[in-house]
Amino acid sequence: MKANKRNHDFKALELKLTEESVSPHIIYFKEHSVREQSPEKPSGRTLFVVNLPPYADEKGLTNAFHEAGTVHSVRFCNKPNETEEKPTKTFLPETLHPRFRIAYIVFKKVAQLDKALKLTKLKPMYETSNEVKLGMDKWIQEHNNSILLPKNLKENIEEFMKSYDADAKSAEEKEKQLEQEDDEGWVTVTKRGKVQSFARSDKVENKIMAKEEKNKKRKELKNFYTFQIRESKMKHIVALRQKFEEDKRKIAQIKQSRRFKPF
Amino acid sequence: MLSIQCENILNNNWKIDKTSSISENDESITINENGKRPLDTENKDGQKKLRIRGLYRQPTVEELNRLQETENLFNSNLFRLQIDEILNEVKVKEKTVKRFQEWFNTLKEHLKTIPEDDTEYDLTEDKIYKHLGVKSPVGIELNKTKCMFKFHKFQDINIVGSYGLGNSINSKLIIDTQITVPTDTYTKNDSINYRYHKKRAAYLACIASHLKDLEIIEELKYMYVNDCHTKPMLEIKPSGKLSNILVVRMNLSCDPESYKLHRFSPVRNNLRESWLFDDKVENSSDVGPPTPYYNSSILSDLTNALNQDFLNETFLNRDNLKQAVVLLKIWLQQRKLQVSGYVISMFVAYLVQIKRINNIMSSYQIIRNVWIYIKSSELDTKGISLFKGSASVPSIEEFHQSFPVVFIDKSGFYNICWDMHKGTYNALKRESALAIEMLDNPNINSFIPLFMTPMHELLKFDHIIRFKNLKSLNEKVYNKVPRSSQVNYGVHRLALVTETVYSVLSRGLGDRADLVLQLVQADLSWSVKKSVDKVKQKCEEKLSFGLVLNSENVIKIVDKGPPANLPESEEFRSFWGEKSELRRFQDGSITEAVVWEADSRAQRRALPKQIVDYLLNFKYGVPSSEVYQVSDQLDQLVVSKSSAQYIEEGSTEVLRAFDELRRDLRALNNLPLDVTAMYGTSSVFSYCRPVVSVCAGRGLTQPHPRRRAASALIKDTPNARPPAYTQHNTVVLELGHSGKWPGDLQAFRCLKAAFHLQISERLSQQFSLPVQAYPTHIDVLKNGLVFRLKIAHPKEITLLQREMENGVVKHRESEEAVMLQRETVLLPRVRGALHGLHQKYPAYGPAACLMKRWLSAHLLSPPHFPSILADLVTAAVFLRPAPLEPPVQPLAGFLRALRILVDTDWSREMILLDFNNDMSREEITEVERQFNETDERGVMYIVTSYDGDFPSIWSRQAPTKQALLRVTTIASATLNYLEKALIHEYKDNILGVFVPSLSGYDALIHLATPLVPHTCERVGHAPERAHHAHNNRHKADDVLDDVVPVVDFNPVDKYLHELRSAYSEFALFFNDCYGGDVIAVLWRPDIEQLKDFQIANANGLMPVEMDGETKYKVNKQALLQDFRILGRGLVLDITVT
Repeated sequence: MKANKRNHDFKALELKLTEESVSPHIIYFKEHSVREQSPEKPSGRTLFVVNLPPYADEKGLTNAFHEAGTVHSVRFCNKPNETEEKPTKTFLPETLHPRFRIAYIVFKKVAQLDKALKLTKLKPMYETSNEVKLGMDKWIQEHNNSILLPKNLKENIEEFMKSYDADAKSAEEKEKQLEQEDDEGWVTVTKRGKVQSFARSDKVENKIMAKEEKNKKRKELKNFYTFQIRESKMKHIVALRQKFEEDKRKIAQIKQSRRFKPF
Repeated sequence: MLSIQCENILNNNWKIDKTSSISENDESITINENGKRPLDTENKDGQKKLRIRGLYRQPTVEELNRLQETENLFNSNLFRLQIDEILNEVKVKEKTVKRFQEWFNTLKEHLKTIPEDDTEYDLTEDKIYKHLGVKSPVGIELNKTKCMFKFHKFQDINIVGSYGLGNSINSKLIIDTQITVPTDTYTKNDSINYRYHKKRAAYLACIASHLKDLEIIEELKYMYVNDCHTKPMLEIKPSGKLSNILVVRMNLSCDPESYKLHRFSPVRNNLRESWLFDDKVENSSDVGPPTPYYNSSILSDLTNALNQDFLNETFLNRDNLKQAVVLLKIWLQQRKLQVSGYVISMFVAYLVQIKRINNIMSSYQIIRNVWIYIKSSELDTKGISLFKGSASVPSIEEFHQSFPVVFIDKSGFYNICWDMHKGTYNALKRESALAIEMLDNPNINSFIPLFMTPMHELLKFDHIIRFKNLKSLNEKVYNKVPRSSQVNYGVHRLALVTETVYSVLSRGLGDRADLVLQLVQADLSWSVKKSVDKVKQKCEEKLSFGLVLNSENVIKIVDKGPPANLPESEEFRSFWGEKSELRRFQDGSITEAVVWEADSRAQRRALPKQIVDYLLNFKYGVPSSEVYQVSDQLDQLVVSKSSAQYIEEGSTEVLRAFDELRRDLRALNNLPLDVTAMYGTSSVFSYCRPVVSVCAGRGLTQPHPRRRAASALIKDTPNARPPAYTQHNTVVLELGHSGKWPGDLQAFRCLKAAFHLQISERLSQQFSLPVQAYPTHIDVLKNGLVFRLKIAHPKEITLLQREMENGVVKHRESEEAVMLQRETVLLPRVRGALHGLHQKYPAYGPAACLMKRWLSAHLLSPPHFPSILADLVTAAVFLRPAPLEPPVQPLAGFLRALRILVDTDWSREMILLDFNNDMSREEITEVERQFNETDERGVMYIVTSYDGDFPSIWSRQAPTKQALLRVTTIASATLNYLEKALIHEYKDNILGVFVPSLSGYDALIHLATPLVPHTCERVGHAPERAHHAHNNRHKADDVLDDVVPVVDFNPVDKYLHELRSAYSEFALFFNDCYGGDVIAVLWRPDIEQLKDFQIANANGLMPVEMDGETKYKVNKQALLQDFRILGRGLVLDITVT
């Protein structure tokens, strides 16, 4: 019943692509209210919308809610309360996976949000369907856009490299600063400092451990004590036994699946 | 002695182990009693410890020895255990033996009451049969034989054959019984002109008449096997519980006293020409040509008793010999060889006689020896004989002149293999050689292919020749054979025709065929109350020949004959007729030669078809319309309809262009890092792409494309014609070693893009190729083909795996890293191996193409069944062909691949593809262990020898269980259909199996055909006229070559990607990626369920009122509308079924 109760908060309205659209999706929305505040989703002005079809975009939603007032911004998410992604800069554009989404629509004014919640009908997203690139138009555009002049590609690369170099440099400087003695006289050891240290990665760790192990083994005498010889013999027998067990298991398996009926 | 020991150890292993496992338990219990370990079997840990404890227990000396032996004989030990299982399975149950004994005693009592009949009948009349109330078991051919018959009572009835010897097989159990006809029945001259046969038939009818109303018999029939219609037998089906288990055959043999054996020696004549050809004048002085074939049919009855005694004596109380014979019989039955159990028993007896085998050997050793002996035997030139003694008997040379295969019996007069064809003998030798090969291969469990796998003629042969009208063939061939042969075979025309056609075919095909085997279906059984002639009219005999081709020789265009000046050339000319012509060859020799017509590789593979057609027409005037040949029925699918080019030639063109491009790339200068290696990874590089990229010129149907940089753009004006679809060929590049690659993923990729840019610049400057650089790859046009170059570097994989944890860099498997590893490291290796496989077995590529076309035709295109997986399944046909040899015709390869899909129990079995045999026994065991231990594995488990740390990487994600189920269901339906069409209905068009059924889907999305790539390759599509395509290519040569065409623009793929990405939680989408203009939609089964509203899961829901409550349901109408919206311009219509 809990779920049922919750959905009463949501308002359900049809979202049409154009005026002529038949059987549109029904979107659900309510005022966005969570304890944590964030500047992107100011309380009182933000509308929380779920079940947006893959082709709904910012412009379309702005148009749809036009009657309520001016939309300040629209943020699309795949999941509600998605943790803010750290904006890592990627060189390649991310591949798009169209899917149903949710959105946070921020209005200019508080009153507009109230108005939006009182809407009984949404305007269609577009006047005519030609305004939005979909289907063939979209794919042709995508394809043509993917072709870059060498000059432009070069510019992109150079720009990215420049910013990367700048980032790397600032990181290095930061490390260098750490190298300095702090107030309490501590010095952080980094890769680039004067104090030589090894790279901290699992590979290096494994290598060190392996070396230790090897050293240990070298010191050990293997065929010295009687119990060791006995043990190694035992191990051999165990291996043979396992093999035999394996053999038996195989037969059982074949028996199970074929039951040895040739015809 | 050693063998005895091994045998005992093998025998005992199983038993000892059982007891030892009991003692193991005892031990654990005593430990418990001692209080060292609490008895807690519920506790899982405790159990585990106990098990280890069991493994580490102190061994006894006996056990130690046993384990040691087990290790040494591991392979054969496993083999041995399986033999025991199968022997148990085929053993006749004791209950059946008891019941049969009772039944047989009753029958015997009844038979002994048969009355003497003093009336003498003239067998030319029907009187006797009217009196008896049964029909005559022989037909009208013998009507002209005149003789008088009087019934004399027989002495006894005996159980003979395999049941008598104790080596019969439980399935379809046949018990042979025999009645010896008393000497008085026959007179001295009865041996000639089928009088013997006619009297024998009358005698049989007398017995049948006595049995016909007996209540312990459910069904009483006459029957003959192998077209031996002059010597019928009785087939008795007992009533009651035995009726489903066994049938009893009653045969008549002849008292050895009746005739002197030398009357029937191979050089004697017993069938007069005058009788056969209806010459009115009886000329008794003219004896005529020898009739060894006819003689043998009487001899087999005469010598029966002697040979039966010999067999009884050999097999009495020798269990291992009997077991071996049982195994050999299973082996023969699985191979459908027409070698009777009698012949094989005699053969084993012969090997016992010459001391090659004995009863002390295990059954495994015996069969091994038998196979080795058959493999190296030469019964067709050096016959063998069981006869020992000093009496004068015909020499083996005499037999060789009359019979193709010679194996003389105990009496020295009778050839046991008198009716064995040479083809059968060759097949037997070949199968034996294969069997030995399988036994010696340590990497497979040879037992299963040897004894458990039945062979089907469609899978076994590359080429099958069938005769639609056997009667007319009979007539035509019979009239051309010499009179002496006609006399020899008498009324057994089919045997004569088979032998004659066989010799012509095997001579004509020469070394193109490794095996020519006749397949005769001429067994018949009919009720004793029906006339044999009427029954025969209804059921026709079938004759066909199966060919196993030799992949190297079959493609020869020229058959070279003897030099013109030798006398042999005359003979060659007369054999080939007009086809033979004098030719001068490059080495200077001038010889007779026969030249055939074929351009492409596929046509050359089908050359036997031409040859057979020609020979049958030339020799016997049989038109090709009467001959049906299974060979290249599916070749239409491996030829491109738009360019009339075969896949293999198309792929070769791509490979040649790739080679040139490789040279160009190596020669690039002024690059910071050199290009060190290039690998093609697209399926076209292993000849497995069903639709080979046509030269890109066709992409430029627009004469003046809009262009940017070196690439053509797509015109986005309305009504613009869409560009023709151009595929790319993916190539992975490796650059020279450098330590300077950045340690950050994004920077790494950026640097890669810089390399793309630089390589493309150099390529266009140095070789003026049209090149387009992208951040992710380079597209380059070479010889009208587009290659997509991607730089691969192992560091990118490590960077993708990298993760920081507490300041320590760790490497974790991530999905993306695995994918990259798969595409850039593993795929090039597997593709290379598949390329090699195609070079070795040229049928591989086309077979894989057929497989992919078939999967796609049934709307299971990738990702439902990944394309590389189809390649690998087909590769399994060639890498693990046991018990057959790799096929030469793609059709056979395709059928076998389907068989693998159907027959493999995917939940329990894996397929290991060991290219080049470079995996060791230990590695294989390890892979098997992994398979058994992992619970989370894909539905199919296919491992290649290159998988390394990622076993079964190719089958990990797809297919799903449902998809696989669908694949196997369709595969078995396809096999059934094809068997019917090819074997029974002589259909030439079997493309129906490549037409999907669109029923059963919930909705169909119809697409605009001009926008769908490859539409012209569809099965139903009419081929474009060849000259049209030709023109196009010419035009292409003029315009192209300065611009990269629109590459890989596939609206259907893009549409499917969007649909699957957005709607896969609601529905599945199926299509045919080779020109299918329909996308089939199947809703997920839970789509109709009512749901509660949850923020995280509100997709596509609409509210519905239910009993005053608001529930939610998926809005199917809106989804269908979405499909229309997303596919605007591509979707024509959506129909809901």
